[in-house]
Amino acid sequence: MPIDAANPVPPTYPRRVGMDQVPAHVPKDLIRSAGITFGPEFLAAPHAYMAGLHDTMPPIFYDVGPMGNAWQVLKHEDALHILRHPETFSNAGATPFPRDPDDYFYFIPQEIDPPHHRKYRNIVDPVFSPQGVLKLEGKVRKLANDLIDQFIDAGSCEFTEAYGRPLPVMVFLDIMGLPQAMRDTFVEWAMALLHSNDRATMAETMGKITAYLKSAIAEKKAQPDDGVVSLIAHAAPGGVPLSDKEVFGFVCFLFIGGLDTVFASMNNIWLYLAQNPAKVREMIADPDNINAQLEELLRVWSVTFSGRVLIQDVEMRGVQLKKDDRVTCVLPACNFDPEVFPNPREVDFHRPRKTTLAFTVGVHSCMGAHLARLEMKIALQEWLRRIPEFAVKPGTRIEYRPGGVVGPEAVPLVW
Amino acid sequence: MPSVTYIAASGATHTVDVPLGENVMRGALYNDIDGIIGECGGGLACATCHCYVDAAWTDKVGGPSSQDERDMLESAGAEVRPTSRLSCQIDMTPALDGLVVHLPETQF
Repeated sequence: MPIDAANPVPPTYPRRVGMDQVPAHVPKDLIRSAGITFGPEFLAAPHAYMAGLHDTMPPIFYDVGPMGNAWQVLKHEDALHILRHPETFSNAGATPFPRDPDDYFYFIPQEIDPPHHRKYRNIVDPVFSPQGVLKLEGKVRKLANDLIDQFIDAGSCEFTEAYGRPLPVMVFLDIMGLPQAMRDTFVEWAMALLHSNDRATMAETMGKITAYLKSAIAEKKAQPDDGVVSLIAHAAPGGVPLSDKEVFGFVCFLFIGGLDTVFASMNNIWLYLAQNPAKVREMIADPDNINAQLEELLRVWSVTFSGRVLIQDVEMRGVQLKKDDRVTCVLPACNFDPEVFPNPREVDFHRPRKTTLAFTVGVHSCMGAHLARLEMKIALQEWLRRIPEFAVKPGTRIEYRPGGVVGPEAVPLVW
Repeated sequence: MPSVTYIAASGATHTVDVPLGENVMRGALYNDIDGIIGECGGGLACATCHCYVDAAWTDKVGGPSSQDERDMLESAGAEVRPTSRLSCQIDMTPALDGLVVHLPETQF
C-alpha cells in the first residue's frame, strides 16, 4: 500500500540483526559476514575490497552484521533491475537514519515510491537539472579559486579540510539559502549521522538537526527567499501546499544528502590522482575530455549504497528473496562488474559511456547528480590548472572512515 | 508555448505545452506522461528517455547531438532505430512547435 506522506508512521518491517535473526528461507551457504562499511579488510582499501567481491563472494549473498542483516547484490544488471522496480523493492523504511517514533517523518522524496515520488521531484528538478545548475558555474569557480588562494603558497594542505569539505558544502548551503556561518556545525552533524556507526550517536544528532531545520523552515515561511528551503516550504503541487511533515522531511533529506557525498567523492578522487601522476598528466593534456574523465573517476570511486525492502517475494539468480527482506545494492562493487566494464579496475578515460551506478538509477536516482558533477568538474579544472603536480605527503598512512559514505579520513597533500 | 505530442506504444496520445528552453523529456515528466522515465535527469547518464522522432520531424530535430548520446542509446531497453533520440537532448525551440514523438514499449 502506498504510504501517506502527509501522515508518516514508522515502518513495520522487522529489523533483523545478527546470526540468530537469519530467516529460515536463507540458504546456509549464502550467509556471509563481509563487513562492508566497517570490517578491517574493507577499511584497509574499501574500493579494492569491493571490486574483489566479484571474485570472493556469490553475486547475491545474505550478509549478517551488527548494523542489520541484508542481501547484498554485486552485479550491475541485478542492481539496475532492483533499482528500477520500486513495486517490488521499496524505498519505504529502507533509509537507515533513526527518527523519533513520536514525531516521525519520511525522508522525501527518498522514501516515497511512485506514484507520489514525481510530485516532489518536480518541485526541485528545475533547480538541480543540468541547465539549472549551470547558473552556478561562475560562483563555484570563484569559490574554488578563493579556497586554492588560501593554501597554494604553503605547498601543502590537508585536502579534506581545505578543499574537499568546504567547496561542496558552501555551494550547497548557498543553494538551500542556509547560512554559511553554520558550515562547520552542519558538517559535524553530517559526520556523526553518517559515519559514527553508532545508533545512539545517530539518534542524538538527528535530534539536533531536527531542531535546527525546524527553526530554519519557520524563518523561510515567514520570509521567503530564492533558496531551496524556501521553495519547498512554499510549494503547492497541484494547488495543495505541502504539510509541515512533508516540508521537514524534504529539507532534512536534502540536508543529509548534500553535505557528505561530494565531499567523500572528492577525497577519494584526489587521493587517487595524487598517487597516479600519469593520469593527472593525461587529464591536463586532454582538457576537452573532462566530462568523460570525471564519469570514469566517479565509476571507480563511487561512495555509497542503495538499500531497499522487499514488499513481495521474488527470485533472482535462483535465490529466493522474501517479503520484508532487506537488500543492499553494493553500488561501488556494481561499478567494477567485469561483464559491463572490462578490466574494471583500470581507470580508462576513453571507455564508451554506459550507465554507472555512482548516482544510482531508477526513480530514486540522485537528484543532486548534476550539481555534484558540476562541482567536481570545476574543482578538478581549477585545481589541475593551478596545482598540476601534487603527491600524498610522504609517510602518510591513509585511513578510511567506516560508514555508508566511503572515503578517507584525511588526505595530506604536498606540491 | 510550443506543444509536443507524445504517442505511446499503446497508441495513447497526449499533446502538452512544453516551455521554450525545457526539453522533451521534462515535458513528459511535468505532465505525468507514462513511457518516459528520465531517471538521470537529463545528464546523458542513462537511456530511459528514449523516443522515436516522428518521420515528419526528423529533419528538423536531427540525429543524436553528441557521441555520448550515441553511446547511451546503445543501452536503450527497446529497439534502437534511425529515428531514435534521447528526449532530454531535444531542447524546445519555436521551430519544434507541434513536434510528434513516439515512445518505445519499454525504457529498460
